[in-house]
Amino acid sequence: MPFGLLKYGLRRRYPARPDLPPEPDLRPAYDVVIVGGGGHGLAIAYYLAREHGITNVAVLEKNYIGGGNTGRNTTVIRSNYVTPESVRFYKAAVELYRDLSEELDVNLMYAERGQLTLAHNDASIRSFRLRAEVGKLLGTRIELIDPPAIRALVPALHMPEGGRYPILAGLWHQDGGLARHDAVAWGFAARAAERGVHIFQRTEVTGIDVESGRAVGVATNRGRIAAGAVVQAVAGYSSLLAKMAGFRLPIRTYPLQAMVTEPVKPFLEPLVSSAQLHAYVSQTARGELVIGGGSDPYELYSTRSTLDLKESLIQHTLELFPFLANVKLLRQWAGVTDMTPDYSPIMGESPVAGYWLDAGWGTYGFKATPASGRYMARAIATNRVPDILRPFALDRFRSLALVNEMGATAASH
Amino acid sequence: MSGVNRIPGGLLVDAARPVRFTFEGRAYDGLAGDTIASALAANDVRVLSRSFKYHRPRGIHSMAAWDANALVQLPGEPNVPAERTPIVPGLAVRGQNYRGSLAHDRDAWLGRFARFMPVGFYYRAFFKPHGAWQRFWEPRVRALAGLGAVALDAPHGHFDKVHNFCDVAVIGGGRAGLSAALAAAGAGDQVLLVDHNPVLGGALNYGRAAVERAATHAERDRLVGAVGGVRRITVMTGAVANGYFADHWLAIIQGSRLHRVRAGRVVLATGAIEQPAVFRGNDIPGVMLGSAAQRLIRLYGVRPGRTAVVVAGTDDGYGVALDLLDAGATVSAIVELRPEPSRDPRAVAAAGRNIRIVNDASIIAAEAVDGHLAAIAIRRQGDNTRHGEAIVCDLAAVSVGRLPAYQLALQAGGRLDYDDARAHFSIAGLPPGVTLAGWTAGEDIGANHPWPIYPHPDGKAFVDFDEDLQIDDIENAVAEGYREIELVKRFSTVGMGPSQGRHSALTAARLVAKETGRRVGDVGVTTARPPVVGEKLGVLAGRGFDPERKTAMHHRHLEAGAQMMTAGAWWRPAYYGVLAHRADAIAREVRAVRTAVGMIDVSTLGGLEIRGPDAAEFMNRMYTFTYTKQAVNRLRYVLMVNESGAIIDDGVACRFGDDHFYVTTTTTGSDRVYQTMLWWNAKWRLDVDIANATAAFAGVNIAGPRARDVLAPLVEGCGVDAGAFPYLGAFEARIAGIPARFLRVGFVGELGFEVHVPASQGEALWDALMDTGRGAGLVPFGVEAQRVLRLEKGHIIVGQDTDAMTTPEEADMLWAIAAKKPFFIGKRALVIRDKHLSRRKLVGFAVAGAPPLQESNLVLKGGNAVGFVTSVAWSPTLNRTIGLAYAAREDAAPDRSLVIRLDDGRDVRATVVKLPFYDPDAARQAL
Amino acid sequence: MKLLRCPLNGPRNISEFVCWGEVADQPDPATADDLAWTDYLYFSNNTAGVVFEWWCHTPTSYWFIAERHTVSDDVIRTYTMDEFRAIRRDGR
Repeated sequence: MPFGLLKYGLRRRYPARPDLPPEPDLRPAYDVVIVGGGGHGLAIAYYLAREHGITNVAVLEKNYIGGGNTGRNTTVIRSNYVTPESVRFYKAAVELYRDLSEELDVNLMYAERGQLTLAHNDASIRSFRLRAEVGKLLGTRIELIDPPAIRALVPALHMPEGGRYPILAGLWHQDGGLARHDAVAWGFAARAAERGVHIFQRTEVTGIDVESGRAVGVATNRGRIAAGAVVQAVAGYSSLLAKMAGFRLPIRTYPLQAMVTEPVKPFLEPLVSSAQLHAYVSQTARGELVIGGGSDPYELYSTRSTLDLKESLIQHTLELFPFLANVKLLRQWAGVTDMTPDYSPIMGESPVAGYWLDAGWGTYGFKATPASGRYMARAIATNRVPDILRPFALDRFRSLALVNEMGATAASH
Repeated sequence: MSGVNRIPGGLLVDAARPVRFTFEGRAYDGLAGDTIASALAANDVRVLSRSFKYHRPRGIHSMAAWDANALVQLPGEPNVPAERTPIVPGLAVRGQNYRGSLAHDRDAWLGRFARFMPVGFYYRAFFKPHGAWQRFWEPRVRALAGLGAVALDAPHGHFDKVHNFCDVAVIGGGRAGLSAALAAAGAGDQVLLVDHNPVLGGALNYGRAAVERAATHAERDRLVGAVGGVRRITVMTGAVANGYFADHWLAIIQGSRLHRVRAGRVVLATGAIEQPAVFRGNDIPGVMLGSAAQRLIRLYGVRPGRTAVVVAGTDDGYGVALDLLDAGATVSAIVELRPEPSRDPRAVAAAGRNIRIVNDASIIAAEAVDGHLAAIAIRRQGDNTRHGEAIVCDLAAVSVGRLPAYQLALQAGGRLDYDDARAHFSIAGLPPGVTLAGWTAGEDIGANHPWPIYPHPDGKAFVDFDEDLQIDDIENAVAEGYREIELVKRFSTVGMGPSQGRHSALTAARLVAKETGRRVGDVGVTTARPPVVGEKLGVLAGRGFDPERKTAMHHRHLEAGAQMMTAGAWWRPAYYGVLAHRADAIAREVRAVRTAVGMIDVSTLGGLEIRGPDAAEFMNRMYTFTYTKQAVNRLRYVLMVNESGAIIDDGVACRFGDDHFYVTTTTTGSDRVYQTMLWWNAKWRLDVDIANATAAFAGVNIAGPRARDVLAPLVEGCGVDAGAFPYLGAFEARIAGIPARFLRVGFVGELGFEVHVPASQGEALWDALMDTGRGAGLVPFGVEAQRVLRLEKGHIIVGQDTDAMTTPEEADMLWAIAAKKPFFIGKRALVIRDKHLSRRKLVGFAVAGAPPLQESNLVLKGGNAVGFVTSVAWSPTLNRTIGLAYAAREDAAPDRSLVIRLDDGRDVRATVVKLPFYDPDAARQAL
Repeated sequence: MKLLRCPLNGPRNISEFVCWGEVADQPDPATADDLAWTDYLYFSNNTAGVVFEWWCHTPTSYWFIAERHTVSDDVIRTYTMDEFRAIRRDGR
């Protein structure tokens, strides 16, 4: 038993320093107002305070912290993208995650169990090899492996040699892993609040105050708040908030569903996914199997669940693990995801001065949380977008210089 | 003998049919109709499983499978609800989640350290030093995690699906559901009545709403009998309505079959779920819900205990006491938790039968001996002793209230409010067509005990049995700052186990309300999501349906020894030969085409018919080239880009008349191209008819210098010599008596004819050509040889040599762009792309020797990836390795040198070569 | 499973359809500047509310317009192209 737990055994009630302090009084003005109390918004607040000494910061959350996609994703962390721009950025996120438990003094249960993506045809092999080569060049742990190596990594995997979905090769990404999503949001919240950041839940932004092309504050259900800078980090609602600031985004919003089984004894170590089967599976430390797939087929601002997606996703999951037929699915849920045309995020400046974008996170926002938080904070604090974020500027949609990650994103969030 | 606790009168069991099964390796006898739990209870087996976190012994709690306390292991099947799963002869059942034996679990020490594992303890520890979680702690936590075990060799089993339709679906076959079904049928509706129990009747079968059961049974018999006599009512018993989805689409699971039911409207008569009281030891086997005791007695003929205490927070407890007396148990006491004595007739009857009733009492703790209930300690009003009064018992039946079974209602969009007077949730806000009936609607449900929660200084008063969460855990989660119920759930995991909060949501909401000073209604419960109860993955998957497409010549390929590969939904021959000689086979096929003649099945290419006065204009808008001036009986290359200017498809367009084009697409592109064409024309409204004729045609490409030798004997009505049928000609004629379209194409760079015939004639065509071609040396070739052949000619394959961003300019295909046309899809975007030229260009390259170059190897410049290899092959014709790659724009000139990084990290030099590699004057295809 | 009423085929499961998003008017490519054209290409309204959308019934390849609420997912009405043109002319 770790020494740290002994203190709990000696008290019936917890020590007085709660993760989330009692809500402070709302000030009339802040240097930075961050709209959205998910992982991204809280991370920006934390790094503003930690690395730039900017603590007169408010995080406004319309519901409860981490209640959006931070708490709905399937907790996959990886950097096995295809464009060098993306690999560099997500690699930075992975590196931050490695030290984040200690930095935030919370066990995020970060574990690099590795991610295995399966190729069932030669087109997949080509696209996997490209991702492997780009990743290797940029210093991530990734390689294309053959069926015997796959069998050694995941003995439980069903490996047909023929049929519609033969397993021909795999993209093995040793840096891939999992972390406890809620704890990431709570950790950033606790450590930001400790440094003086104000976090307000059940506080909804209803308007953005723009004067002479510059954002100067926000209107909320609790009144107006003046702001030196405003950041939007509202996955699922990016278009709606941008519209309040007076511009449109290259985003369409779709539900993304996921599901979880009852806990069973551990049999699966890495994360396993198949883009062609639109399915990915991992087993949590509790023993549950978390299963996800592709986005819903049409635009919707709703987290309703559907039976048809569940049926096709599970059918495909059983192609990989047929022995799970008698395991029971316990719960399905959905998040609302902001998809961009190139499956890459939008970070940095907006058409409105002093209004910063952290948007378009589609199905891949969680894995980016510490990196987007850190570099967005740097952009806001220095008023200069760091090089690592530049490829993800909104302007790329004006010059058609997109960062295309469609193939590296489909169904392996 | 089917157990020491067996009594007569079980509704569901057949005393004449014993069933022998094993539990933990020991044989027991039950009766046909028994569940695993009832049969074991009859045999006095109380401990069925071990709990998730503390490995505490657990047994029957609800007899309705509402919680995880009685989940057991079957061979190949984990987490089986013992309370609902029938025994069958020879069934081998084990407990779950223990090390050693169920009785002596070596992991049971975990429970003694509970005070060191407070709520969320895993967030506080296990992560120092750096990496300790992954390296040391996680493997240990995982080793203890999970409940049951999966067998990696378990068979998939047989599952299937059906579609049902009805005017009205009534969920729940208790009094309310039976009545609703009769009413709907009486109004002329087709009714589907769904109940998860083996027989209809619901609580009428086991509950005791009045002193005498006769009236209850009479009502049940009347209602069930009436339903049985109505043909418009279809009854499904043993069927769980597990999900409500949009537009009254229900997922109903019966055995291994999923019924997808479209209902006109839905009546939810799902009843109510009895709720536990929270006190120290409330999880000990022997402590169960009052309704569980009644289910054992009435449904299965099992006496739930010898000496019972009834914990009554509602009047239903007195009915339970009467039932226990009738079952032959001793009722030592009814512990009435409310301040006022009950005036319910059942209470009067209980007093009349000399049961001791302790009014205005509270519970201190349940005590266990050998993992089973031995006594319950209570405190009477005014008793100030530390330990109160211990009442010896082996059964504590708890009746403190019920909650409407709100799960389906909430899935349908309903919301909950808390009825403070009756201390339970009520449901509102349902969509049109969904109504509630009976207990679900709050009718006849009575008032719950408002606060059946009894903290104990030593803890172990469980709020959530699945997760071993205690009162302190919920309070501490709030103290940590997690004040919203969703955050409490996420931090503590309350409600996240197999029972999904059915027994914990109310207590959790009450505790959070108290700790945060809010109303229970304001705290609410966490979102109810499908499914209602755990559902097998096999049921959801069913038998599976993955459509696949085979060409008319599929069997000929197999007979010729082809290795088949998939292309979208299609199967195509990759090459003819065995895997061990793959390279040789491909080279042989390539050489045959270059030196004699080969034939490839091209039936999978899309074929679209564009007919009408505006056909040429339509083509002009859809594709980058010009088609208005294309001559009849000529064909032209087609290149399609999307609105962003990226290449998405190619093929050829044959003009068979002024108003008729026949256009081919890539194999995987046909459906999408067709849909795209229809979409655009829905806007343009040009006078054209667009038809997808892909499946109507089978086709082959006969290519090689001797192609004419194969075709000439068979073609009727059209010459095949260069004069009559020049390169890029397209004619309709007959071949071997089959009406056909002939296309002179040059994809592989030799004299070549595509022949398209009705799909029904594909095999006949193949056979005729193989027959006559034998003398000319005709061999079939596959997709792999074709890839080499076209690479030698420098032709791109869309999707392989292009990606989602590739423009015609990058691919050096500006020759295919009619820039003077006023419009084609993507033209405007290409103007923008031209202003912001990318840094890459697709080039041909060659390397010396045969290094292990692979498609997708990177092209490096200054240590950065500037491009990658899209195609590479050993050219048997040129005797060198050739390929296509994206390279830096400034390197896109012949003889420039490229650095390509191999898989193994070595770099090789390649030289840019002007395309095509083979026959640069294009003389051979024009022969 | 949601139902969608196809003007040609009547109410069908929504899995039989594909949606190509909100109806957007294409600017004149001859006169639109790059900003207007990229607006048209990528910058969607992404409305949270009632929208007119392109839908296709895939088994019959039939394109039509649905008026749908993107939050509640309620389909208010579906239109043939002729009907849609008519209401567009009426200035809706």
